[in-house]
Amino acid sequence: MDYVFEGLMDGTTDTGVPAAAELIALAEAAIARDTDRLERARTAVVKRLGPDAMIDAAAVIAGFDGITRIADATGIPLEPPRAADTVDLRARLAIDRFTLAKW
Amino acid sequence: MQAEIRADLSENLSTAWRHLGEAGSWWTGAERVAIAAETRQAAHCRLCAARKQAASASMITGEHDRAVDLPAPAIEAIHRIRTDSGRLGESWYRSVIAAGLTEEQYIELLSVVAIVVATDTFHLAAGLPLPVLPGVRPGQPSRRRPAGAKPGLAWMPTLAPDDRTADEPDLYRDHPGPRERIGGNVQLALSLVPDSMIHWWDMFETMYLPGPAMRDFGRDYRAISHAQIEMLAARVAALNQCLY
Repeated sequence: MDYVFEGLMDGTTDTGVPAAAELIALAEAAIARDTDRLERARTAVVKRLGPDAMIDAAAVIAGFDGITRIADATGIPLEPPRAADTVDLRARLAIDRFTLAKW
Repeated sequence: MQAEIRADLSENLSTAWRHLGEAGSWWTGAERVAIAAETRQAAHCRLCAARKQAASASMITGEHDRAVDLPAPAIEAIHRIRTDSGRLGESWYRSVIAAGLTEEQYIELLSVVAIVVATDTFHLAAGLPLPVLPGVRPGQPSRRRPAGAKPGLAWMPTLAPDDRTADEPDLYRDHPGPRERIGGNVQLALSLVPDSMIHWWDMFETMYLPGPAMRDFGRDYRAISHAQIEMLAARVAALNQCLY
């Protein structure tokens, strides 16, 4: 199965992952702390995937809201092989723009 | 509608939360709860909001809207990590260390902030009320720094799995073996304060996946698939502008 990684960056392109629209809407509402959007997104995930999936999705979103802070606040680098393997993908997705305006 | 939280997740969230009120390695229980309270306060800070809108956070100066009595560099670290972590740089880190925060205090503070952020985001996303901050327990910090910690990988020294001595807790889950925490560099990020690393990773692995389950694509361990988990992880990383 090939996935479309652009959807991870723009939040709108279909990634090809089942129920991506519902799950990404939950992630975006949670990170934005938007309680109105969250209510709708939760309902949509439960309707499509069930209540256990909603809880597990909430847990993944929350865990990565924490661990991204750990990565960014320690300056921990990607492992060299992983960095080398993802050069093209990172360029295509413009991930390296996140290195700008650091302070 | 209130969904049921699986038992291991509920237990590990509760354990991590309780640890916040206990003396750590470099902060007392009262100080750790103050860090937790300030993590929540940072979301309402006008200076942080202005910095977030600026092309560079360094362009905006002023005083943080603070809720607790902690040293100024601790307040600065809590607020920036909570509100603008994607734009943190090494020069900023060096400035908070130069202002008086020790590297060990910084790492333990970071683990507390991360636990509060993850716990609050989970409750918010799941439609549950935020937990009340834990009660403070008496005790003094252990002030133990791993003898084998070395500089070079991150902004601060880290303790590689093979540099751990028998005096340190089992932070990489070497026992009973094989080693469970063999993942990327991010697992080393909090290793300068082993107990803080353990508190975070024990909670995080039940929110995401433990290492062996993460690498086992032959079955799904959650009610969402590996692909759905990784998609959510990547989308949150992008929203938080995380380079890792």
